[in-house]
Amino acid sequence: MNFSILTNNMDMFLQGFKVTIIASVTALIASLLLGAFIAVLRIAPYKPLNRLGTTYVEFFRNIPLLIITLFVYLVFNFKGITAGTIALTIYTTAFIAEAIRAGILSIPEGQMEAARSSGLTYSQAMRIVILPQAIKVVIPPLGNQFINLVKNSSLVAVIAGGDLMYQADLISARTFRVMDTYILVAMFYLVLTIPLSLGVSYLEKRLAKSN
Amino acid sequence: MIVFDKVNKYYGDFHVLKNINLTINKGEVVVVIGPSGSGKSTLLRCINHLEAITEGSLTVNGISVSDKKTNINKLRREIGMVFQHFHLYPHKTVLQNIILAPMKVLGQTESQAKEIALKYLEKVGIADKAQSYPSQLSGGQQQRVAIARGLAMSPEIMLFDEPTSALDPEMIGEVLDVMKALAHEGMTMVVVTHEMGFAREVADRIVFLDQGQILEEAIPAEFYENPKEERAQLFLSRILNH
Ligand SMILES: Nc1ncnc2c1ncn2[C@@H]1O[C@H](COP(=O)(O)OP(=O)(O)OP(=O)(O)O)[C@@H](O)[C@H]1O
Ligand SMILES: [Mg+2]
Repeated sequence: MNFSILTNNMDMFLQGFKVTIIASVTALIASLLLGAFIAVLRIAPYKPLNRLGTTYVEFFRNIPLLIITLFVYLVFNFKGITAGTIALTIYTTAFIAEAIRAGILSIPEGQMEAARSSGLTYSQAMRIVILPQAIKVVIPPLGNQFINLVKNSSLVAVIAGGDLMYQADLISARTFRVMDTYILVAMFYLVLTIPLSLGVSYLEKRLAKSN
Repeated sequence: MIVFDKVNKYYGDFHVLKNINLTINKGEVVVVIGPSGSGKSTLLRCINHLEAITEGSLTVNGISVSDKKTNINKLRREIGMVFQHFHLYPHKTVLQNIILAPMKVLGQTESQAKEIALKYLEKVGIADKAQSYPSQLSGGQQQRVAIARGLAMSPEIMLFDEPTSALDPEMIGEVLDVMKALAHEGMTMVVVTHEMGFAREVADRIVFLDQGQILEEAIPAEFYENPKEERAQLFLSRILNH
């Protein structure tokens, strides 16, 4: 393998790398907030809200991300990277909501009952008693969702998002060094995902110990 | 103080409480007994609205528990509850468990709440465990913390749902002693328990529940020595002979 592809196109790789990181982190933060919101909708003691939350989750996690991406791009006419980040958020929210919901449901019902019977409101009980316990359970699956998110962000390339994958497409089309280019780009993804993966296992072990 | 008036409750088609009429006065200790599944927990949980009644009226201090206009969080300040499995918050220390509601619900300052918490920990005999986590305590100690947590709100009523049935036999006494002391101080208590010694010593009345109905209501001596209902006799002979 020839590393001149890398050195000759360093600025393009780095530009793509930066875009991939920004899109992933933005989509992660947005889908964490939205995911927590949807999870609470699904659990709240009010049926219509439950249904709304369930509909969201079942709809968006059961269609391909590519379709959501194209849809947001074509319908709203945003720039590629904006449309891509929004699509990633919409899609990842469904999975994160499920992870958070499972975490909340893993906390014994008696915790909520004890909190409510002492006069705390539902939202106080949720914030002070349930969520701090649920977060321990939720961190490992959330880490896995973030890894998926980073990899899924490569789909932004199909709408000219300027991310790593998009730059790689440009470079390989220009140089005809297809294998070399994509091996390099895979390495860039690994630089992001391997530390995440290790971080997740580390947290998993630590949390297992603290119980 | 607590008045059930023709209360019915259903879980779907299942009629779990049937025409309950029951008045519990201030300072009274009422022990509820009955076979498994007879609705004892449900009866207790209706009092602080962990379960909603389907028909009839249930009032606490004259305030309707089921009325949509009732501020249930405010009503619950007056009603402490102790569960079979303690339900202490595992991520908080004993002290934090106790001061949480007084601070968030009653608006006490942290130092006020701590002072009161320590007083009650003293009372239940485990002031030295204030900084421990629940998982570091024995079952009996956890249940005593749970009682202190309830008392720290200065409630007028304490509800106990089988507070000793999850405990090893050698720890039952320490929890019952705390409850007896509470009863002697005049706390209004509704206790689901099969501990006959406790019932005989402090209960003013025994309520026998069977298949969702109150079959018998009597003072302990009368109930245990001379149960009128055949089903109560049968039930007593079973718990005595096990
Ligand atoms: N949420 C629920 N939905 C449907 N049925 C329920 C529910 N909770 C309780 N039940 C049923 O209602 C009946 C009464 O339950 P409850 O827990 O009040 O009984 P209990 O007298 O406390 O029994 P135990 O001695 O086993 O604690 C039982 O048959 C139970 O299966
Ligand atoms: Mg019960």
